[in-house]
Amino acid sequence: MSEQIVKAEHLVKRIGGITAVDGVSFSIEPGQIFGYLGPNGAGKTTTISILSTYLPATSGDALVGGFSVRREPLKVKEIIGVVPQEIALYPTLTAMQNLRFCGKMYNLQGSMLDGRCREMLELVKLWERRDSRIEEFSGGMKRRINLAAGMLHRPRFLLLDEPTVGIDPQSRERIFDTIFKIRDDGTTVLYTSHYMEEVELLCDHIAIMDRGKIIAAGTLKDLLKMLGEGGMIELEVSPPGCASGLEEAISRLEDVTGARREENRLFISSVSSARTLAPVMKLVEAGGCEVSSLELYSPNLEKLFIHLTGKELRE
Amino acid sequence: MKKLWYIATKDLLIVAKDRGAWITLLLTPLVVIVLASLALSPIYKGGSLHATLLVSDLDSGGVGKQLVSALAANPNMTVQAATEAESRTLKRAGSTYSLSLVIPEDFSARVEAGSSVQLMVYDDPNSTTSAPFLKGMIEGTVNRFSAVEVAAKVGVAEALNQNPAASAASVAAAAASASSQMANQPIKTSEQPAAGTKPLNTFDIETPGFAVMFLLFGVMIGTEGLLEERDKGTMARLIVAPVPRSSILGGKLAAQFLVSLLQISLLFAAGHFIFNMDTGNSLPGLVLMVAITAYTATAFGLLLAALVKTRRQASAFGVLTILLMSALGGSWWPLDIVPPFMRTLGHVTINAWALDGIKGLILHGQGFFDILPQAGVLFAYGTVCFLAGVKLFRFRNA
Ligand SMILES: Nc1ncnc2c1ncn2[C@@H]1O[C@H](COP(=O)(O)OP(=O)(O)O)[C@@H](O)[C@H]1O
Ligand SMILES: [Mg+2]
Repeated sequence: MSEQIVKAEHLVKRIGGITAVDGVSFSIEPGQIFGYLGPNGAGKTTTISILSTYLPATSGDALVGGFSVRREPLKVKEIIGVVPQEIALYPTLTAMQNLRFCGKMYNLQGSMLDGRCREMLELVKLWERRDSRIEEFSGGMKRRINLAAGMLHRPRFLLLDEPTVGIDPQSRERIFDTIFKIRDDGTTVLYTSHYMEEVELLCDHIAIMDRGKIIAAGTLKDLLKMLGEGGMIELEVSPPGCASGLEEAISRLEDVTGARREENRLFISSVSSARTLAPVMKLVEAGGCEVSSLELYSPNLEKLFIHLTGKELRE
Repeated sequence: MKKLWYIATKDLLIVAKDRGAWITLLLTPLVVIVLASLALSPIYKGGSLHATLLVSDLDSGGVGKQLVSALAANPNMTVQAATEAESRTLKRAGSTYSLSLVIPEDFSARVEAGSSVQLMVYDDPNSTTSAPFLKGMIEGTVNRFSAVEVAAKVGVAEALNQNPAASAASVAAAAASASSQMANQPIKTSEQPAAGTKPLNTFDIETPGFAVMFLLFGVMIGTEGLLEERDKGTMARLIVAPVPRSSILGGKLAAQFLVSLLQISLLFAAGHFIFNMDTGNSLPGLVLMVAITAYTATAFGLLLAALVKTRRQASAFGVLTILLMSALGGSWWPLDIVPPFMRTLGHVTINAWALDGIKGLILHGQGFFDILPQAGVLFAYGTVCFLAGVKLFRFRNA
């Protein structure tokens, strides 16, 4: 019936007194890298836990590969791969021993298992270190093995929970390359992160999450449109109070697509920052304000998040 | 089932690589068994502890001399004649002693008259070495002497240097069980093992006791491994993989059981081949006891993991429980020497049932069928722990 690899409907998860996931619905098409962006505590890991059958949802359900996580968890387990947020490896075993063990848990054996282990270790560029213990690895190397362990069995759907936290740029590059590679091989990916640059770079479709809810979703382009096509101007003015009402005058200017004020800060989106800047400054001066800081930028997810929630993505 | 075995072999590999685990499993118990066997051997055997006793025999009659020669006959004691002043101060010719005995002037007369007498025992309350042990020997000698030979009421009171009142009562009470008639001829006593018994090897006593205790400490490695797997997220990895929970837990328990079995077997093998520990008349019986003990210990480890929330709690609660069980259950001293109610209470422990069976085989010549009741109780004990553990264990952190 459905082509979608994931169809989550009204997922709710209450843990203790907290509603960690609060009515989340989204769907992922095959072959996508789906970005799940949100600050720490937004509910990303909890969502992944429900989709991967680790935690039962309080209410709602999700179909993964057409199977209900609630009613057919075993079927779901067989087609997914999970790369957990924490390094889930046995520190005293070698990279190879860890991978072989993971492979066996997915029914790989014999030359098939050997081949996959080698392939994965080469992909994450750690084949030479295959016989080193995990505890001897750097954080970035551990992350790469953690990633390899989750995709060894070529899952149809791979769930990645912040796979790049706290690692060196080189390891990050390797992980990105790996993700593109497996996407090209036909795996659908759910990529969770609180780094908006990563999500902008990697993902075709993005859902932005905050406090258990998806507050915006779509392609990167769709999302950035919410901030205006051209550019953003951010102004801080003094003395306090001088800017009141200014945003209305600004929003009537030609080319301006939106203006918003928070105390003495003005956020202006327009078709072209270059053309809008001069008339904006004129209005500001006419209102008896002095500009104490000025910032021009093109729209990005970070700004969108601030725009939507009034707070920064990274605390 | 295959995956259960993969999980077990993975755990066995982890333990095999863990040097700390082997110290806990084998080295520590061996050191403790050897130390305990060597140190306690004089107590069980009446063996080689030796001390010198200062004696001032002020007695004008002959009974005092008989007492002195009886004391001197004790192979663990050298009797050194001394003046009364030397005995009082425990100092003679520049040397310090820990114990002295003064036999009063009217000793023979009072003994012969059948009235009570006082022997003065001086000790140094600060001496922790052999004084209590020596006192025991004097007491024993005086008792035997007075009961059989002197046939008089002999009260022995002890005068302590600092606190004369303190323990006088105990010695006096012991000695007051004297008998009635006096005989002139000293009676020689000699000790001989009864027919069919063998000379005691303290390793026969200490090896099983400490092996069972360290077996329980050994399963804590498995308990912590189980909780660590849960804490570190590798359990979550297994849960989201197509692996039944029964295989996850079963694999880990199978590995721990095999480690425990290997541990206790190696400890007994070391006891037997290095220290000549007896293995009894029924090897199948011993194998059965050892296997069931390893099973019950493993199940205990699971229950512990199920009852605590964190690894810290597991180790704190585990150490406490194991030490309590070991003390109560006869790992540290045989339950034959404790009061009956303590013996009964001791049988709430794994140690007591395991040791009843194992020592029955090793020390008391029991056969396979004699120890089946103990084996049965222990198996039931393990099964209750296992079922409760499976029921209560949480695969996810709360
Ligand atoms: N086991 C738990 N116990 C209590 N609260 C939890 C637990 N797991 C998650 N939460 C809470 O649920 C919310 C979402 O957590 P999480 O899904 O881990 O967020 P994210 O992965 O986006 O950082 C947070 O407020 C977190 O504190
Ligand atoms: Mg998270």
